[in-house]
Amino acid sequence: MEKIMEVRNLRKSFGKKEYETLVLKDVSLEISKGDFIAVMGPSGAGKTTLLNLLSTLDKPSSGQLILDGEDITKVDNKRLSAIRRDKIGFIFQDYNLLDGMTLQDNIALPLSLNGVKGKVVLEKVQKMADLFDLNAHLLKYPYQLSGGQKQRGASARALITEPKILFADEPTGALDSKSSKDLLKSFLSANEMGKATILMVTHDAYTASYAKQVYFLADGQIQCRLHQKGSPKEFYEEILNLLASMGGERA
Amino acid sequence: MSLWKMAASNFKRSMREYFALIVALAFAVFVFFNFQNMVYSESMKVLQNMRKDYIDTVIEAASIVFGIFVFFFIWYATNVFLNQRKKEIGIYTFLGLDNMKIGKLYAIEATCIALASVGLGIVTGIGFSKLFQMAVLKLSDISVNVEFSFSIPAILITAGLFFLFFGIMIGKGYVSIVRSSVRELLFSAREAEMKREHPFVKGGKIVLGVGILGSGYFCAMKTGGINSLQYALAAVILVIAGTYFLFSGVIPLLIRRLTKNKHFLYQKQRTLWVNQLSYRIKKNYRTYAMVTILMICSVTVLAMAIAMKSRYENVVHFRQTYTYQINSIDPLNEEEIAEGISQENEIVYDNKIPYLVLDEYGVVPYSAVKEAANRADLAFPYEELKEDEAIQLSHIIFLSLNLTQDESVRIGETQYQILNKDETAYLGTLQEQVDFYMINDTVYDNLKLNNTEWYLYNYKIKDATNAEASRPYLDTLVNEQDGMHRTGYSVALPENKEETWCKIFYALCIFMFATLILASASIIFMKLNNDAWADKEQYETLKKIGIAKTNLAKSIKWEICFAYYCPFVLMVITSWFSVKALGNVMKQNLIFVNIVSTAVIFALFTLICIESVHVFRKKVL
Ligand SMILES: Nc1ncnc2c1ncn2[C@@H]1O[C@H](COP(=O)(O)OP(=O)(O)OP(=O)(O)O)[C@@H](O)[C@H]1O
Ligand SMILES: [Mg+2]
Repeated sequence: MEKIMEVRNLRKSFGKKEYETLVLKDVSLEISKGDFIAVMGPSGAGKTTLLNLLSTLDKPSSGQLILDGEDITKVDNKRLSAIRRDKIGFIFQDYNLLDGMTLQDNIALPLSLNGVKGKVVLEKVQKMADLFDLNAHLLKYPYQLSGGQKQRGASARALITEPKILFADEPTGALDSKSSKDLLKSFLSANEMGKATILMVTHDAYTASYAKQVYFLADGQIQCRLHQKGSPKEFYEEILNLLASMGGERA
Repeated sequence: MSLWKMAASNFKRSMREYFALIVALAFAVFVFFNFQNMVYSESMKVLQNMRKDYIDTVIEAASIVFGIFVFFFIWYATNVFLNQRKKEIGIYTFLGLDNMKIGKLYAIEATCIALASVGLGIVTGIGFSKLFQMAVLKLSDISVNVEFSFSIPAILITAGLFFLFFGIMIGKGYVSIVRSSVRELLFSAREAEMKREHPFVKGGKIVLGVGILGSGYFCAMKTGGINSLQYALAAVILVIAGTYFLFSGVIPLLIRRLTKNKHFLYQKQRTLWVNQLSYRIKKNYRTYAMVTILMICSVTVLAMAIAMKSRYENVVHFRQTYTYQINSIDPLNEEEIAEGISQENEIVYDNKIPYLVLDEYGVVPYSAVKEAANRADLAFPYEELKEDEAIQLSHIIFLSLNLTQDESVRIGETQYQILNKDETAYLGTLQEQVDFYMINDTVYDNLKLNNTEWYLYNYKIKDATNAEASRPYLDTLVNEQDGMHRTGYSVALPENKEETWCKIFYALCIFMFATLILASASIIFMKLNNDAWADKEQYETLKKIGIAKTNLAKSIKWEICFAYYCPFVLMVITSWFSVKALGNVMKQNLIFVNIVSTAVIFALFTLICIESVHVFRKKVL
């Protein structure tokens, strides 16, 4: 499989000198095209921190981040912005759709602002709406949508530019189980259609069980990696067992 | 921490945020104080012999108009402030403060702003009072020595009025906070923006907006006839109402239409800023309407000032056309008189015109007027008159709008068709006393056979201030018999001090114009600052999802440009009509007022727009 991102000896600390807190000690991982990875770990383990580093929102203290053969720890802000625009998609826990426009325009935003022709944009918005089952809601404003619809909309907005990799921080964090399931199914089909490489952070074992790999982050390092082999149900059990054995959180 | 300390630290921390607000309010205080100061200050007492009572009335009237404006301005400013603070203040409820305490917190902070702006306004007002008075007098073309002086009553009145207004508004804000729930405090702004209107109401607004504005323009075009004043008044009211409905109906609709046309929308940065406009206009239309109306008013005030000034100058010019006018029933030797006057004064031009008095009218022959006009260098655009034609020689009355023009006049046995009403002083001030008609030479010669002819000798001297010097000589010409003047004279004195107030009025109008335009710009500026504050989070998201800063910067530029130039364009169109109406009423071509005011406002708006874009970008990017 084509390698998309390579992370080597990533280290991140906050503060200076005696106030310094080391959050990530030494993280290395590889992301290949078509991966669907979930990162789990206790609160304060540094999951959000790791995600921010991978998605270029923050800079590591040391280590390398190679995206598409380019070390993104060494490029200027302008290039970073271009990388974010062209190669990376984001989904936030609290959706972050713009209040002032319809769902359709929200989804179209990244493409239309980047000079893609209106006709093409409309076609792609339609595809995304099909994928995330949003056809009935395109003309609504965010305040008229449920949390689950908003999050699917945010996902559609993130995937419309066909990013190399999609990052999601607790995408189901604010959703009930039905909405979570709908969203995860959409993720899965996007992933299986070969369109999306996904890395998401989650607390929730059930959410994690949709992924193909699950990484456990604790004490500033990746402690353990699980790969899905059998059915999703077996994988879910496996994750729960591991969580129990690590004595950390429960599902 | 005590409430006071908390408020004080809040105030200090957000000083930068409120800076624009305080400066705008202080400016209003500054201007108002200086108006008052002019009424009460010692140095202005020298204007006593120039009808200071009149001047005071004018200033008081200006203060009242300005006071009303200030009231709305404070209302607006405190509202902006309240909305800005509501969300932040709402968070205090989580800290266990109850609404009363939060209301008090708001009141203390708002009072700080009131104190700061009134203090700043009065202190700078005192500091610049001499300069202000000098500027007004300079603009009024009055030379008086101004001493530095300020008056306690002016300070008290200014402070009293502003604190009263602030008091009312802060009280209103306090009540609104105490009454609202936490949810309202946190989300009020957002919910107001999303309220939907019934299609019926929407349609009504649109029809009303277009209809009212259209009839306003129609009325403006109808001025110039007999019912000019009524039409002009109707035009002003209709245009103001129409502008309001335009911003609440038609313009939102048009923008909404644009957001629905995806082929238009998904281009450049439009997805962002056109949507943003459409979203915001529901909340901001009052601001836009208010700013547009303010600007239309200020341009109209300016046009009025300039029209009055030029009318005043026309009156002066009319009266100064001839310095001496000798009126005699016996023919005199004009060269001899010229020589007599020349002993004291240099003559610029002179002429003579014979005339007849029939019934209550005076008549003059065409060719004599033409010759006289030629010698006095007055415009004379008339062709030879036919036997039944006449031209009315009238005069300018400063404050009267007599727009009627008779079609014809009966003088003696003959009915004349009046071709035109002319306000050139061919016969000098004599035209102010008798209605004169210029008629065909042959007709005049015939009339002369049965009527006594009078002779008018006119002289214009170089130095009008020395006019009195020739009086002794002119007195020797006077010939009085049996209580009737066979020969008499009149002298036009340099300037009529009675009408100085008109010049002060002009100066104040100019200041009013400047103030209102500055206020309009600062209102838009404040609104945009407020929006920037609300948009911060959204721009954070956009940056995160990789929208290039240059794209966001451009989108911001467009959005802000609309906020400044949409009211501007409407103002340009509407003020063209209102100034035209005024010009029709005042019988003047005021198109240059449109051009100058448009250029001035455009320049100012462009400067402030650039600054606005800069501030907005700094805040959100
Ligand atoms: N900007 C910062 N400055 C200082 N310390 C920070 C900063 N951001 C995060 N931290 C610290 O880094 C550690 C990891 O935080 P992070 O947000 O990555 O945790 P997390 O794994 O996402 O936790 P949760 O599951 O609760 O979201 C925490 O101890 C936090 O206090
Ligand atoms: Mg987190």
